[in-house]
Amino acid sequence: MDEFFQNNGFLIVVMVQQTLLAMSLYYPLMAGQLSLASPGFYALGGYVAAIIGTVEYFSPWRDALGWGVFPLEWLIAGVMSALLAVIVGIPALRLKGIYLALATIAFVEIVRVTCLNLDITGGAIGIFGVPQLFESRWAYIWIFGPLLAVMLYFSYRLERSRVGRAFKAIREDELAADAMGINTTRYKVLSFVIGAVLAGIVGAMSAPFLNTWNARQGTFDASIAYLAYVLIGGGRSIWGPLLGGALLSALPEVLRPLKDSRLIINGLVLVFASIYLPQGLAGALGRLKLVFRRGSRPSGGGA
Amino acid sequence: MKRVLFAALPVVMFATVAQADLVGKPIPIGIAVAQTSNVALLGEEEVIGARVAEKYFNAHGGVNGTPIKLIFQDTGGDEAGAINSFQNLINRDKVVGIVGPTLSQQAFSADPIADRAKVPVIGPSNTAKGIPQIGEYVGRVSAPVAVVAPNALKQVLKEHPGIKKVAVLYAQNDAFNTSESGTFQETVKKMGLQIATIQKFQTTDTDFTTQVTAVLGAKVDLAIVSGLSADGGNLVKQLRQLGYKGPIIGGNGLNTANIFPVCGQYCEGIIIAQAYSPSADPKNAINKAMVKEYRDKYKKDPPQFMAQTFTAVQVFVEALKKVEGVNKKKITQMDLAKVRVDLNKQIRTGTYLTPIGKISLDKEGEIHQENFYVAKIKMNPDNKTGRYDYVK
Repeated sequence: MDEFFQNNGFLIVVMVQQTLLAMSLYYPLMAGQLSLASPGFYALGGYVAAIIGTVEYFSPWRDALGWGVFPLEWLIAGVMSALLAVIVGIPALRLKGIYLALATIAFVEIVRVTCLNLDITGGAIGIFGVPQLFESRWAYIWIFGPLLAVMLYFSYRLERSRVGRAFKAIREDELAADAMGINTTRYKVLSFVIGAVLAGIVGAMSAPFLNTWNARQGTFDASIAYLAYVLIGGGRSIWGPLLGGALLSALPEVLRPLKDSRLIINGLVLVFASIYLPQGLAGALGRLKLVFRRGSRPSGGGA
Repeated sequence: MKRVLFAALPVVMFATVAQADLVGKPIPIGIAVAQTSNVALLGEEEVIGARVAEKYFNAHGGVNGTPIKLIFQDTGGDEAGAINSFQNLINRDKVVGIVGPTLSQQAFSADPIADRAKVPVIGPSNTAKGIPQIGEYVGRVSAPVAVVAPNALKQVLKEHPGIKKVAVLYAQNDAFNTSESGTFQETVKKMGLQIATIQKFQTTDTDFTTQVTAVLGAKVDLAIVSGLSADGGNLVKQLRQLGYKGPIIGGNGLNTANIFPVCGQYCEGIIIAQAYSPSADPKNAINKAMVKEYRDKYKKDPPQFMAQTFTAVQVFVEALKKVEGVNKKKITQMDLAKVRVDLNKQIRTGTYLTPIGKISLDKEGEIHQENFYVAKIKMNPDNKTGRYDYVK
């Protein structure tokens, strides 16, 4: 058992981490907004943690707080992501559908190119020697795991709250929601900010986890990967990004013994899943449950 | 409604386990380079270098009679992939040491893992500043750009003493090219030349009109290009097409046969500093054997990354022999953890006569290499293939 975690611990933590990033895309999607901005906030959060962890200026903080500097990094990353999300969100969310997606891709590019050109972010080489919270990679489950649990509970409560219902109303029909007195701009920006804060915190947790941080972390490729998590998993419930993120980040590693053909298999899974599971994995499982119920009810009634 | 239940994550977490493993037979050495993703262009050369080395050293008796076995793990192009393959090699494959990863950024991510596990790492192609300083167990056989790149500039000045104004162009989204360009700029200033313009581009760019116009406008005598094969090749092509006549120095990213089809006839005359030359020293027997093996199979000269990976494997093999000598015991009868620690110590002692010439690794793990080379691209009449003519 222990050896299993020694070998696969890193992968399991990566699965949780990618799941959280998929969830950061899910919140705007709850309000019907196709935003691909998560990698930008993820990169920002990582830089916050890496800079606080390595730059000389912050060394009194590190000495004074000890390991307490890590929660502080998460907090600062979250707050900075929230502020940036409000600034970006208010103009960007005037756009709809594919145009919003394009604007958020542009945002990710702006963050990336800015970080490439700043001295404090270490240019293209990035920041290395990020201080460690834990010795073993697997131990990082103790920060990503609780965050996932908190986010699941948060989503569970959110969907049953006034805000969550407002999100869904906007998703189904923005005009109708507006007519019913929902302040659509406010809720759309709110959904965007929730996703951004989550991505920022995950970034801040990931910088020590990956030992280094550079401009290759928040890229357009990452945007597409997160979108794939949500599409394959299903965008209609929180279980979608959870399933999609875990499955798709694990697949290339699980298929490692197949060597060169593993990426082909990975691609085939994506193609078939998008053709045959339009509602995603979560949608398919939900349907399966319905079929199962319908099948079992008459027999239950007969007994 | 059915409630969704969480399966509580197992609470087992013992980070350290006393390992009493013996070293496997044949002796396993890990190769963690990029076999997929866009970095695979470089990684594939490294795979070939490792394979040729495995064959060569096993044919020459391995480690005092015990054969070696290379275990390949694909890192892909990202940081997480590099960590995954390192952990696989360390924990599952129980290697004595690791050659890899391909990129410096991946090294910053994965090397600390090996360092903490006390497993020696030799970087075959990590040239960024700060790699050997990652930790006690991290070394490299790829000389940093700051050492290699200035050689090209010296050679050009020897050929064209009248050069005064220089244009520097580099791919700003690539760590290697950014740091290489920094070295070029410093060297240019140190030699008393003037940097007339600095132009940045992206490795994904295809149109370089802006940069070329700026270079032509600055009326420079020399252009220095740090880019990868596709973008760098296209940039050179457009420079020549729009009328630039002066000499061009290419960075290490252009140091591959992959650029020949990109810039075709316009590749002619690009000057590149080399950490390796297939034909430098006719008395270097190991280089001759390696070049022959490579030529027989691929019908061309081996590239630098191939030779450096071969060198990394060689350093491991020779250091393993020294470990046996010091302990007076077969490696395969020794405890794995002890072999790793001793091996790391032995890697840093003595000199190695390798395909890239005479080298040694200092205490920190940094390479000290005796010779560097300069080559000029010479295109064949078909304008699709060419070769590197060594001028120094």
